[in-house]
Amino acid sequence: MAETWKWTPESKLCFVTTGATAPFTALIESVLSPSCLDALRDGGFTHLLVQYGSAKDIYDECSSRARAHLDQQQQKQGLVVDGIDFNPNGLQAQFKLVQRSRGLVISHAGSGSILEALRYQIPLVVVPNTGLLGNHQDELAVAMERQNYVVRGHVHDLTPAIRKSEDFRTKMSQFPPVTSGKHRETKSFAAIMDETMGFMD
Amino acid sequence: MAPPPSYLYTLSFAIALFATILVAATLRLLAILPNSRTNTTIGRKKPLATRVLIVLGSGGHTREMFYLLKDLDTRKYTHRTYVISSGDAFSAQRAVDFEQGLEEREQAKAREKKKKQQEEDGSSADAKIQITDADGTTHARGMEEPRPAYSGAKHYNIATVPRARNIHQPLLTTPLSALHCLWKSFDPLLSAPVSHPPTTSYEAAAADLPNLIITNGPATAVIMVLASLILRFFDVKGANSRGCCKTIYVESFARVKTLSLSGKLLLRVVDRFLVQWEELEAVGGRAEYWGVLV
Repeated sequence: MAETWKWTPESKLCFVTTGATAPFTALIESVLSPSCLDALRDGGFTHLLVQYGSAKDIYDECSSRARAHLDQQQQKQGLVVDGIDFNPNGLQAQFKLVQRSRGLVISHAGSGSILEALRYQIPLVVVPNTGLLGNHQDELAVAMERQNYVVRGHVHDLTPAIRKSEDFRTKMSQFPPVTSGKHRETKSFAAIMDETMGFMD
Repeated sequence: MAPPPSYLYTLSFAIALFATILVAATLRLLAILPNSRTNTTIGRKKPLATRVLIVLGSGGHTREMFYLLKDLDTRKYTHRTYVISSGDAFSAQRAVDFEQGLEEREQAKAREKKKKQQEEDGSSADAKIQITDADGTTHARGMEEPRPAYSGAKHYNIATVPRARNIHQPLLTTPLSALHCLWKSFDPLLSAPVSHPPTTSYEAAAADLPNLIITNGPATAVIMVLASLILRFFDVKGANSRGCCKTIYVESFARVKTLSLSGKLLLRVVDRFLVQWEELEAVGGRAEYWGVLV
């Protein structure tokens, strides 16, 4: 992916991950919509990388339309659009690139992706999949936003969340919380294990 | 003269027998199940070696489990048994990776210690013995060189159990496959594969019942906890009298307001029930909240 990318120190990456098991196709469509692309360019993003999982056909269709839209507006700065498959070994390389370029991650609200992305202290927009019934993605996203860990986005319009993310970078809470309990005691899991076993140091 | 045994084959006798067994079983269950706050283990001396059994599930559960275990101290939990469902190559690979990370951490620690020792040796010749002693863990092994002894292939094993329920399996045959899974669950519980007879205390711990079982929600976890409960019920290998098979359940970070099905099933059964969101604190009078654990 690197050759066609024209990656420079000034580049800024927006990385979109849609989940492995059941790809969140509405998120792919939303992020490649004209309004979202414009919001990204306004935010100074130069690269957009979409992890489409098994939904390659939808990505191909949307990305060609997105490129057509970008070509129409030559006067604005360019935005490189690229896609990757699902990587079973995780997304460390992508998250690191976002971290280095002071970019943004837009993710489905699966706990695995959220937990992984947050370790890199990068602004994260989580988008609950409202199409899933009996799923608790929205509850998690709401709770995470309340704790100031993430910005919650809506799949039908991601532009407010993208605009908010730049400001959020400086305000976000650290995860995992170091001393999250200002008014209550917290423990690490290792300490709970020792306690259960009766190990005393 | 006593009547022949056939006299016992009456309905009333069957009912009486059934009732007796029921009462006895209930009393036994009440005795082994954790009631609100009876932690009698506080202040127990640290044993030389322990085995911990870690139940891994599909992708998400496995990932959360290794976040939970990030600070695992191999000097305390000398043997790790990872239980995976058959066909779950992802979890098996993650367990291997995690153990490799533990080994590297220990090696780095050992190198650092050695370096420090060499530096101190330069200044004072007789400092060596004191350093080994101050560590606090080398007592058992006397004055031998500190080495990364608690990690590596000898200190963990990966056990496979059949899936409790296959994807798209009809509901009708699920009890059968769950029973099959339960039956196979006793293997990894009873012992980890070690050379016979065990020569060190670490091997002895590995060959014994696990001291601790850690689970976080996959279907296999419910079956494993049930199996451990059966061992405790019948006090197999002293499972109950020696206080083995203590269980910790950690509800998924993804569950904010309601418990998962596994959580609901295990709420009253496990020794410690941990949740990661304040909203779930004290659910069922048991759920503990100590902040985010992953």
